[in-house]
Amino acid sequence: MTLRLRRRTALLGGLAAPFVSRLAAAQTGPIRLGTLTPQTGAGGPYGPPMVKTVQSVVAEINAAGGVLGRKIELVSEDDETNPDSAVRAARKLIDVEKVSAIIGTWASAVTTAVAPLCWENKVMLFTVSGADSITKLPHNGYIIRTQPNTYLQSGMAAQFLAKSGAKSVFALSAQTPFAVDSYNRLADVLAAGGAKALGDVIYDPAKTSFRSEIDQALKTKPDALFLNSYTPDLAVILRELYRAGYEGKKFTYGYAANAKLIESVGAEVAEGLISFAPSPDLDSPSYAKIKALLGNEPDPYSCQVYDHISLAALAIAKAGAASGLAIHDSVRAVGNPAGTKVTDAVAGLKLLAAGKDVNFEGASGPCKFTALGDIEGCRFRFDIAEKGKYRLLSLI
Amino acid sequence: MIGDFPQLLINGLLAGTQLAVPAIGFTTVFAVLRFPNFAVASHATIGAYAGYLANTALGLPAGAALLVAFLVAGAFGVASDEIVLRRLRTAGPLTVAIASVALTIVLENAVRFAFGNDPRGYDLAVLRDWRVDLGWLGRVRIGPQQVINAGAAAIAMAVLFGFLGFTRTGKMMRAVADNPILAALKGINAETVARLANFIGMGLAGYGGMLIAMDTAVDPLTGFRVMLSIFAAAVVGGLGSIPGAVLGAFVIGVGEELSVLVFDPTYRTAVGFFAILIVLTLRPRGLLGERAV
Repeated sequence: MTLRLRRRTALLGGLAAPFVSRLAAAQTGPIRLGTLTPQTGAGGPYGPPMVKTVQSVVAEINAAGGVLGRKIELVSEDDETNPDSAVRAARKLIDVEKVSAIIGTWASAVTTAVAPLCWENKVMLFTVSGADSITKLPHNGYIIRTQPNTYLQSGMAAQFLAKSGAKSVFALSAQTPFAVDSYNRLADVLAAGGAKALGDVIYDPAKTSFRSEIDQALKTKPDALFLNSYTPDLAVILRELYRAGYEGKKFTYGYAANAKLIESVGAEVAEGLISFAPSPDLDSPSYAKIKALLGNEPDPYSCQVYDHISLAALAIAKAGAASGLAIHDSVRAVGNPAGTKVTDAVAGLKLLAAGKDVNFEGASGPCKFTALGDIEGCRFRFDIAEKGKYRLLSLI
Repeated sequence: MIGDFPQLLINGLLAGTQLAVPAIGFTTVFAVLRFPNFAVASHATIGAYAGYLANTALGLPAGAALLVAFLVAGAFGVASDEIVLRRLRTAGPLTVAIASVALTIVLENAVRFAFGNDPRGYDLAVLRDWRVDLGWLGRVRIGPQQVINAGAAAIAMAVLFGFLGFTRTGKMMRAVADNPILAALKGINAETVARLANFIGMGLAGYGGMLIAMDTAVDPLTGFRVMLSIFAAAVVGGLGSIPGAVLGAFVIGVGEELSVLVFDPTYRTAVGFFAILIVLTLRPRGLLGERAV
């Protein structure tokens, strides 16, 4: 009898051992941070360079001795640009990997889906999604984003369109959480600028043909089309607009109009497409570093996640603890304008270790956040596709 | 609104011809093997990429590239059946159907691994639409590429009907589809016919995948995007019935386009589900199906 009891106790002890060591590791072992990026799906072109950028920052920090004397361990998951898959991956990151921050959710639908998991589990969520609704969620400060929201972006786009002489604009929007907000803001700013929004069609981006949607748009005879699309559906829409003989202005978000788009549809079809994007800080040394790492002009998201991982590391160092709550409490304090300006995490960590204040300004911009978690401001660039290449039209 | 009708109808009919080819592929596999092979999605994608390589890397014209798409997707179909699905056939159709979903995800990601996520285009000029005046019905526009695609789809269908109707092998396939036991008694080798059905079915999926990609763009989701519509077309027409798949494809193609008259385009995808629901409720064997599934 006694033997059996002992055996059972031993068994229980044995079973519990890994959990005990896991718990101990949470305070002394490596600091675990996660990336949740689109490796596949519509955002697929962006996820891989984003992860590569984050990995390089982590490697730099670890090579310089880590944070609070602990190494950072990065766990990367694929959100498949799909809310269902993203929630499963976020569950794994939070419940199994015990990360204190998740970095890099891209599609607004994905961010909206994983955000509640983050704030309920006190895990900091750094995102590059733009939908206005995201920071309006009851997230208690657990969401920070470096991407200007839809309100800011659509306003910029509308101002540009009105100034460029377009008197009437029709919008074709993929079904996203920001499609409606985006159109409403566009219409307001256009009206203020003396132009008119003729209407919008929200389409299902998973369809292969948008002929009927395009017919609806062209019936209104717009001066300009605002194409609120992702790359795969934009490729189809541009071809169909060309076939339909549309000669007016075509305007879209920078994330949809990448170099591969022109390769896919051909120079003639893409000709005249104007794209706009929040511009990274092109003069920042961090921007130059990412460019060297990726071997080409980095997209805005790679620049933003560079800042996310840097902010997370700095906030942990500032707080003296590695929890999501610690990041939550200190993430704004490492962008203290009174502190010494730093553009990368390693330099900032040194200053923080010496008890100094830092003012982190990253590759994406100044990284100053409102109470809601939105970025306060950033620059925008407008490019036009000409003869198979994008040319910078203006930087505002 | 009603003035849009002729244009929407034309859009729908052209969409239907494109949908018909992979739908026939899907239903052919079902007719012989009695399970829905959802791997038709990834095989359509594989066909689109095979045609892309043939067209851009080897410089073949579109017609020859379509043939390559058919052969490569067909070969993949036979191989994936031999390696994965055949072993599970004894466990029942539901198991194989679920395995085919897994298979399609694996193949889609293999394509993604090899080619990346970016959309690609064929080395074909994008042609401007024809504008046709229909008198009091108004003016409509018709895409030359879509008409060419419709022609290519019609050729594939004609060849298939000829093969099934007039060749010995084709008749063997129909015999197995009709009554596998009787066919076995007559000495028809069921395994050979199964391989042939896979080759033709998945080859047609690849052919149709390339047609769709020629009209849009090649990317790893090319096949997956139309999977629901293909499935809906086959179910509506009657699973296992080849003329049914053609009819079903037109019903779904035209239905999805005409739904724009009533609903927001966002809800177009729902048309496929809705059609399946109605058909399974009122006529479980489908429009031209011979038996309930």
